[in-house]
Amino acid sequence: MRERSDAELVIQARAGDGESFGELVLRYQRAAYSVALSVIGRHQDAEDAAQESFMVALERLEECRNPARFAGWLLAIVRNRSRNLIRRESLRRGDEIPASASSSGPSPERAADISALRERLKEALSTLSEVQREIVLLHDLEGWKHAEIADRLGMPSGTVRSHLHFARKALRVQLSDWKDYGKGV
Amino acid sequence: MNTEDRDRRGGRFGSPFGSTNGDFAREPRTSLEVVDPGYRSPGYWGRFHAAVMERAAFELARRRRLARESVAAVLSGWSRRLIPVAVAAAAVAVFLIGSEVRHAADPGPPLVLEDVLASEVEDGALPVVMSGQAPASPVAFMALVEGNVR
Repeated sequence: MRERSDAELVIQARAGDGESFGELVLRYQRAAYSVALSVIGRHQDAEDAAQESFMVALERLEECRNPARFAGWLLAIVRNRSRNLIRRESLRRGDEIPASASSSGPSPERAADISALRERLKEALSTLSEVQREIVLLHDLEGWKHAEIADRLGMPSGTVRSHLHFARKALRVQLSDWKDYGKGV
Repeated sequence: MNTEDRDRRGGRFGSPFGSTNGDFAREPRTSLEVVDPGYRSPGYWGRFHAAVMERAAFELARRRRLARESVAAVLSGWSRRLIPVAVAAAAVAVFLIGSEVRHAADPGPPLVLEDVLASEVEDGALPVVMSGQAPASPVAFMALVEGNVR
């Protein structure tokens, strides 16, 4: 079956088609979370901001003038929402691991290692600029291509590559002493 | 050459970082999996999706209702305009058909056979023919008719 374009999904979601909206959520939930995380830096708040952004996007679907560019429009909402969240609220302290963490996960030692690396990564990410964090998360975590990021964030491809390069360089310097870093944990 | 090819070659405008940094594609990806909530909790993204869809249910239902209502509104708007026009058109049609019927029922003055036969015949020809003096030769007949008219 032919994969429906973003534009088709947006038009059908405007008429209340849950399946189409669900497909849009499926396509962009990880990217939305990454952008929120790059702005806020905390899991729970990033999750809230990403979910709320989907609600805002659904309520304002008519304002998406070019449905083919839904992703860029959505990510702009996520970014604004996340910034507003930082401004408005006294953010909750600490990162929350989802309650339903799998019991079939890694061993306690491994879990501790992962948790420590996560903290180190978060610290390292926090030293980057917001746009660098956003790009490195979209590229290295979500697997988006330079061109996709450039298109959806509305910036030249060269700028994306430049941000990505400096972000990776900074992360590598900060995490150079981490034993497992770069080996897939 | 597509964008990814350009990326592999170090960018459309060349590398901004000199020869050592020219090829971004060869840079190792940053291992960020640990910040992905799905890494720690495999069902995370399914739950995320379900949570969004649950919150979206009301708005989606509102949109469906609005879409149905707007279809009904269009139809009812059309019918409001269409019915008077259709009534007027029917009245005009009835009037026209009635007038046609009246025309058909009124045949006018009866046609006389002579009138029909003589309708396009020149004035002088008929008395000549009727008098019984019409010559057999067409030339002589025409000469007689012409003379009779004058």
